[in-house]
Amino acid sequence: MSQRDVERFERIVLPHLDDAYTLARYLVRDEHDAQDVVQDAVLRALRYFDGYREGDARAWLLAIVRNCCMTWLRRDHGTKNVISFDAGAPSVPDPRETDARAIQRSERAALTRALDALPDEFREVIVLREIQELSYKEISDVVGVPIGTVMSRLARGRKRLAVALGLGAKEAS
Amino acid sequence: MRCAECTELLSAYMDDELMRDEQEAVREHLATCSECAREEQALAGTSRRIKENLMRHATPDVLKARIRNSLARDDAFTPAPVPRRPAWTRWPALAAAGLVVAVASSTIAASLTRRSLASDAIAETIVDAHIRSLMPGHLTDVVSTDQHQVKPWFNGRVDLSPAVPNLDSAGFLLTGGRVDYVDGRAIPVVTYTRRQHVINVFAEPADGRSSSAHETRNGYHMVEWQSGGLEYWAVSDLNSAELEQFIALFKRG
Ligand SMILES: [Zn+2]
Repeated sequence: MSQRDVERFERIVLPHLDDAYTLARYLVRDEHDAQDVVQDAVLRALRYFDGYREGDARAWLLAIVRNCCMTWLRRDHGTKNVISFDAGAPSVPDPRETDARAIQRSERAALTRALDALPDEFREVIVLREIQELSYKEISDVVGVPIGTVMSRLARGRKRLAVALGLGAKEAS
Repeated sequence: MRCAECTELLSAYMDDELMRDEQEAVREHLATCSECAREEQALAGTSRRIKENLMRHATPDVLKARIRNSLARDDAFTPAPVPRRPAWTRWPALAAAGLVVAVASSTIAASLTRRSLASDAIAETIVDAHIRSLMPGHLTDVVSTDQHQVKPWFNGRVDLSPAVPNLDSAGFLLTGGRVDYVDGRAIPVVTYTRRQHVINVFAEPADGRSSSAHETRNGYHMVEWQSGGLEYWAVSDLNSAELEQFIALFKRG
């Protein structure tokens, strides 16, 4: 691969790095693992770059990142041990924090827990739709499933989240 | 339209991803069925809460540096298959950080204002340790903003007890401590932050020579001083004026 190809790669693909990292963060659920996965994915993308012609570079990169994340998730990964005094106790509230911010922090924590607990195939479509705002067609390209499957996974994933957050009355089907 | 069918389509209806006639049929059903309308409220509320609370993440600078570094490496140009790493551990990341340092030091000339540091090698290892600490999850072994938790944490882990002053009121926030291996020895490190900037304070037994130094290496400021029988180094990318202010306060305790 020539220097010119690498420059073209940097110009076309690297602007989507934040999207790649965001997807990896929500899929592997650990910032340091997400960094390793994204670095690996970008190097793979560089090697596959010959195969990239025209079209949606973001979806192309996200598809590679998504596959790297799924490979990573299928392996057996133990949980990490971080020594932390603050982690064991309910987190010590910062006295300077306002009530509104405290509420937002606990809401965010509840949401993150609910999302993290979703099966991978639901979590990925939720992240791609709600956080990254991809269309169903784009999600179908990234995940590699038909649009109808995207539609039903999103419906079921949202339903489960609604139930987990205490918003949904009906049983998740 | 029956309720079962409506429920099935609600999520795609919210995303405006249905065929026009389906979209219309769902809208009509929602206008007449309060149960499905409630269901729509629940899904829309869930969606809104995700959008409001969960953010997109910016790529950390360390990852950008790692990627730039691997793109610049020769083996990125060869069409060979991606070499398999033995395991997804943090060590490849550290190796990558080391490479960043190597690249940086060959391109950025170290500007030494005063060369009284024990040796260049020690300064280099301390800056390395500082950069390593900026990798996610490496900054602190003990996370605490309380000096009375951080100070005793070092007992039994290292055989000297660094000062851990509380400098909150001056805007230098204690974030915790860790033990680093520098030059083969375990040494305590106390960490502070100011805005987005990390300050690492390394401590070692003083060797008797009175030494103090201020230098800039790879864009990081490094200041060395002695106090209470210990030799301290503070390393940060904070501007030198604020770093000097920090050190003056730290010395005062
Ligand atoms: Zn109905």
